[in-house]
Amino acid sequence: MTFLDRTTDARKFRHWEGNVEADYIYTSGVAGERFFVALRDDGRMLASRCPACKLDYLPPRMFCEDCFAELTEYVDVPQAGRVAAVTLAHVDRTGTKLSNPQVWAFVTFEGIRGGLVHRLLVTPKQARAGMAVRAKLKPRDARTGTIADIEGFEPVRSRF
Amino acid sequence: MTKVGVIGAGMTLFRRRLQETGKELCFEATKMALDSAGITRGDVDMVVCGTAPDAFDGVAMKGEYLLDGSGGFRKPYTRVFTGGGTGVFSTIAGWWHVASGLADVALVVNEEKMSSCQPHPQSVFANIWDPILDRPLKPNLVWIFAMEMNRYMSVYGVKKEDIARVAVKNKRNAVGHPCAQLADPNITVDDVLNSEVMAWPVQRLDISPPSDGASAVVLASEDFIRKRRIKDRAWVSGVGWCIDSTMWTDRDLVFPEYVARAAKHAYKMAKIDDPRRQIDFAEPYDPFDYKELHHLEGLLLADKGEAPVLTREGVTERDGKMPVCPSGGLLGVGNPIAATMGMKIGELFWQLTGQAGKRQIPHEVHTGVSQAWGDLMQYGSVVVMSA
Repeated sequence: MTFLDRTTDARKFRHWEGNVEADYIYTSGVAGERFFVALRDDGRMLASRCPACKLDYLPPRMFCEDCFAELTEYVDVPQAGRVAAVTLAHVDRTGTKLSNPQVWAFVTFEGIRGGLVHRLLVTPKQARAGMAVRAKLKPRDARTGTIADIEGFEPVRSRF
Repeated sequence: MTKVGVIGAGMTLFRRRLQETGKELCFEATKMALDSAGITRGDVDMVVCGTAPDAFDGVAMKGEYLLDGSGGFRKPYTRVFTGGGTGVFSTIAGWWHVASGLADVALVVNEEKMSSCQPHPQSVFANIWDPILDRPLKPNLVWIFAMEMNRYMSVYGVKKEDIARVAVKNKRNAVGHPCAQLADPNITVDDVLNSEVMAWPVQRLDISPPSDGASAVVLASEDFIRKRRIKDRAWVSGVGWCIDSTMWTDRDLVFPEYVARAAKHAYKMAKIDDPRRQIDFAEPYDPFDYKELHHLEGLLLADKGEAPVLTREGVTERDGKMPVCPSGGLLGVGNPIAATMGMKIGELFWQLTGQAGKRQIPHEVHTGVSQAWGDLMQYGSVVVMSA
């Protein structure tokens, strides 16, 4: 027999409270090591090149997912990219309303397979697909070799 | 049904902690398997990924996460998961892709990166228990293995020394394995008996370690093997799998009935009616030393309670009459749950094609059986392979 009365509180039933404890340390891997060290130390963004498929992967991978070659050549990602899509987040992931909407963008680069999702450093009204942008990095001293070393993407004034 | 052969295998180093991401580990094992088969990713029709709980790597939808390293990009791709049983079961899934005629070539890639989970994967294992009946008691997973081991010892009067011989044999066998994490040429029964007690009667050296690693095998149809003139192949002659009650308190802790049922299914398919005579060597799942004995009996390669005697008499040594875990097994090579396929299916392939190097069984072998064990300790998967 089940409980027929509707309830929003499962604690009204006999229950046990538990939590799934789990803490992790994730390694960046072989290609990730190259990418994040160059980002931290030199302020450069690297892509890995597949000469056979004529592809550059961003973020870099140690292998080509198509021809399955091991990739060992790294190239610089062009300074300027383009916003492929934007969204304005009005609520956070718990459903709480944000005082100011957050602007997020998917940024792609000429000749590069993939791209990056990151903050777009403009007002919600300015955000639009097609904008030319470049990465804004934290100062060298503040960079630790993580994706958060990039503060976000800001507009490039001159067209490229 | 189409006849199916294993034509290539690969595996990474097994280590407690590796720098590579799970995807990168998959790539290394897959590349090695494809190269050993002499084929490219383009020859692969379908891909199966085998990997244990998402919680080990700490990535939800781990099958999806691993697909690029596993060669699954723009292919029919499926993740299968039966806990530790995945070590052999994913090959069964790959087999049915080809046996059904749907694919000529299927790639199977298994991965586990257990070091991500902090401080130890035991914290995640705790959540496989029933949340109402068991978890309020804060059980440690080793408890039920300890009780199963104790029950096995009590019913048959087995001595701990005879169980420890399994750990010694496998860690010594692993000396010839290039991927091994815990090979030890000098280990003795006393070392095992003097190691730290985890949950009596289970001591530290009775248990395989948690590991990072990946493995891969390539399966192909008889037609493909003939057309490509592939010489190094081992045929999949029988498969079986079975699960026992969800309540571990309802199971026979002395005899793994689920393994016996899976084995009988595989043997019938392989036309084996006298396994002790028709099977030349075995790779049973050995995450604990007593489990190799348990599983040998489940595989009908020893009478009930007889496996410790066979071990003591040297029958299961690499040069014995029935070599068991010539790879070094989980106890010697390591235990990245699903990726143990490298010592189960991979070892059968390498032994049957004469590519096992220092681990090669010195006498001629024609038929081997591999078995894995998983889910909540009640799942058995069995594959028989023949030269």
